[in-house]
Amino acid sequence: EFHFGPCHVEGVALLELWKAFGAMKDIVVTQDKIMSVRLLKQEVFQNVSDAESCYLAHELLKFYLHTVFKDYYHKVVEFKIMKSFSTLANNLFVIMSKLQPRQENETVSIRESAHRRFLLFWSAFKQLNTEAALTKAFGEVDILLTWMGKFYRH
Amino acid sequence: AAPGTEDSPALLQYVKFQSSNFENILTWESGPESPPDTTYSVEYKTYGESVWLAKKGCQGITRKSCNLTMETGNLTELYYAKVTAVRPGGQPFPKISERFSSLQHTTIKPPDVTCVPKVRSIQMIIHPTPTPILAGDGHRFTLEEIFQDLFYRLELRVNHTYQMHLGGQQREYEFLGLTPETEFLGTIMILVPTWSKESAPYVCRVKTLPDWT
Repeated sequence: EFHFGPCHVEGVALLELWKAFGAMKDIVVTQDKIMSVRLLKQEVFQNVSDAESCYLAHELLKFYLHTVFKDYYHKVVEFKIMKSFSTLANNLFVIMSKLQPRQENETVSIRESAHRRFLLFWSAFKQLNTEAALTKAFGEVDILLTWMGKFYRH
Repeated sequence: AAPGTEDSPALLQYVKFQSSNFENILTWESGPESPPDTTYSVEYKTYGESVWLAKKGCQGITRKSCNLTMETGNLTELYYAKVTAVRPGGQPFPKISERFSSLQHTTIKPPDVTCVPKVRSIQMIIHPTPTPILAGDGHRFTLEEIFQDLFYRLELRVNHTYQMHLGGQQREYEFLGLTPETEFLGTIMILVPTWSKESAPYVCRVKTLPDWT
């Protein structure tokens, strides 16, 4: 299960996420020709506190599901990788929906810190044309999973 | 496709990283039309950076491998490598590797183990596995430090039908209740569940000591 600070998520196996993405990775990453830009830079994840991790995970997964996965689907059909894509998307949706980051006053600064990290990613995403940004973001799911893996407990 | 462009596989193919215990070796193969005096030059780049860096010691070489361990040693970075093949009087032919992450791609070698036979038991001492990855204080990270969920699986084959099993994250184990002066086959593996990595087994054939009492 995942322990993003106070937010615990059961019922999703990290291995399944890696397997699903692994089945698509070669096709997807080779489409990304812009090697000099990384959206999920080191600064996005550097020294994320446990408390922040729930907010950051929730915000990133929400963006990935509502924007990247949604708008990249036509490519998924083109590459015929729907099965792996659905497995990945469904599992990430389960994680996101189970993350219930608290919204009280005392968490404002933590939320803002997590949001600043998300904006690092988001602003880099916006600087690329849509197709390139979607391809790059989807190709960086391994970077996202690597970070999420730090909060996984067997 | 015109020679020297990405699509003509004439001089160069299969540029890829081979990684084991975080030792990262770039390898490639010559193309079907490469003359024997073709030379190769290697560059590498961190994903997200714009500059290609030349790898010293792998410029104008004829061998088909290059050790990029130190250059690709940051576990939170991803990397690309580029090999450029040149044949005398011909166009340079570049080919780029896939995006490489040592955390994702490295395989795990068998552990280093000392099997110690006693009269009615066999002790197995697993030694930590150093990697080339340097910590801030200059010491080399071990596999155990890099992979928090790394554990060991030990098996002792007693006979064709009966095996004993032990496992865990500690380094010393002892199979007890064995018959003196008998040969056993021990196998020890490293597993890293988060990354679904599994080493080949270390195997030791050991005979328990005679019981002089």
